[in-house]
Amino acid sequence: MKYFMILAVCVLCFLLPFFVGAYLIHVLTSIMIFLSLALSWDMMLRTGQLSFGIAGFFGLGAYASIIAVDDFSIDPLWSILVAAVFAALVALALGWIVLRLREIYFAITTLALSSVFMIFARNLSDLTGGSAGKVLYESIFKGDSIKIYWLVLSVALTVILISELFQRTRIRFAINAIRDDEIAAKCSGVNIFKYLLFVFVLTSAIQGAVGALYAQQYAFVEPESTFSANFLLLPMSMALVGGIYSTLGPIIGAVVLGLASEYLKLIMPYGHLIIYGLILIFTIMFLPRGIYGTIANKIVVKR
Amino acid sequence: MKKNFVGYAVLAIALFLIALLRPYAFFYGVQRGSLYGLVALPLALILGIVGLLNLAHGEFLTLSLYMTYLLFNEWGMDPLSSPVLTVPLLLVVGLLIYKLVIERSLKTHHLNLLLLTFGVSIVMVESFNIWWTSRPRNIYVPYASTSVNIFGVYVGGYEFIYTIVVVLVLAGLLLFLKKTRLGQATYAVGQNPKGAAIVGINVKFVYAFVFSLAAGLVALAGALLSVRSSIFPHVGGPFTMKSFSLTAMAGLGNLPGIVLAGIVLGIAEEFVKSIPGYTGWADLVFFVVLIAAIVFRAFGRREG
Repeated sequence: MKYFMILAVCVLCFLLPFFVGAYLIHVLTSIMIFLSLALSWDMMLRTGQLSFGIAGFFGLGAYASIIAVDDFSIDPLWSILVAAVFAALVALALGWIVLRLREIYFAITTLALSSVFMIFARNLSDLTGGSAGKVLYESIFKGDSIKIYWLVLSVALTVILISELFQRTRIRFAINAIRDDEIAAKCSGVNIFKYLLFVFVLTSAIQGAVGALYAQQYAFVEPESTFSANFLLLPMSMALVGGIYSTLGPIIGAVVLGLASEYLKLIMPYGHLIIYGLILIFTIMFLPRGIYGTIANKIVVKR
Repeated sequence: MKKNFVGYAVLAIALFLIALLRPYAFFYGVQRGSLYGLVALPLALILGIVGLLNLAHGEFLTLSLYMTYLLFNEWGMDPLSSPVLTVPLLLVVGLLIYKLVIERSLKTHHLNLLLLTFGVSIVMVESFNIWWTSRPRNIYVPYASTSVNIFGVYVGGYEFIYTIVVVLVLAGLLLFLKKTRLGQATYAVGQNPKGAAIVGINVKFVYAFVFSLAAGLVALAGALLSVRSSIFPHVGGPFTMKSFSLTAMAGLGNLPGIVLAGIVLGIAEEFVKSIPGYTGWADLVFFVVLIAAIVFRAFGRREG
């Protein structure tokens, strides 16, 4: 019954473009982009490592895919895969260093990553177009919003599936053990570093693929806007508001905040990030378990 | 100890060579580095004593820059005398942010605290953006554009005030921590908050005091910087990262080391800038330094 309902929801999501207008399709596409980012951030957080690297790998993927299409004339659809692989390779190389760090050291080093990638994007002007950025001749699927919607939906569903696999398979024990007590996990023979590297590379690949999707949708990259704090702050707020350490939490947060953010952009085009900053602060102060976490808690207590 | 000595000797020789080969890079680096040290000291103070990495540190600097600009523009107040007003103001702002946002979350996991200060930083940047727009502003005073001749090298004279002030602030902080009762209490809290509470030190008060003091010290740096830098909402951001790099490089609680590390970073940056065609890469230096310092320490800790 449960699986039947999940299947029904998926089919409904795929058929949705035939029933709703173009504006809503656009909103849903952007929600799913941020949903994937939020889930990937949460997957890393489940290991107890707070990563600020989302915007960095997002931008890296965006650049990789635009360059792949423009300079190597790879098909836009394949360029997304190229971007994911490229982000994964960079994460693998960096992971050897940064994953030896813990807590504030890990967080601040990943926070520095996006500015480091931005410096590369600005200075390697032959490849990246410098501070002016790069514009493609046309966006993916010639800008057909329904096909883009289906593509983004399949990526989002894949990310949800990966996140669920994380929660259900043996990996979960390792991840939870690392988060709860790293030394105890090490003593029980869990190869912490291997698992951390695996999660870091996988989430970075997701972020790179999502960045590629986003860049292909608008057919353009530029240092300031591609590495913008938007792509860090919004996913983080979504995961926190929805509830961290779960698959359903970030999804709920993404839908709630995604709809809210569309409305905010309409009434407050300038400086709407201030609202996300406030959401971040208030969520941590007053609702540390998020919407899903709080509700789930209540239900468990009632039983 | 012996290892340290070799390190310092290599450092001294490298600095001497740079001074000899690229005197401009050396002097500008010393000036720039003193400024980094001045901004990093308060961050290190909070990190060392409250155990909290304040990601909104650079935004305190931006706020103080805007305040200095306003005082200069509205009342014609000289930037160098404006700390009389901006330091008390930032003391209050620091205290408010601490009391409203941070104090109640101190007990939770400290990744939460990191996210909190990140939120504070975003709110501050975006408020500046809305209030003052992203247009860069400048303060012009005639004394800021003097130059002096040192061994035949002409460098800006004003910036040496950074070096003078950072030495004074450092000496002041060290004297305060060693000689006064409150300073010794602060030091004790930094060493062991639980133990300090047992012997009757008001830990909560010390935390609030340190946070507030750090914000006040940042206002001092803001006043000095205001005449030599454009003022825009994101101006302070990079200083947070650089300050943290310095703290990681010198180690927590090593206040003189932070100033020294700042000067080394400043010289390294100016050295990269002085190579033709590589000016844009200078911002990468701090990241390399950060990674190197942290990884070196992390490996050291694992072995030890």
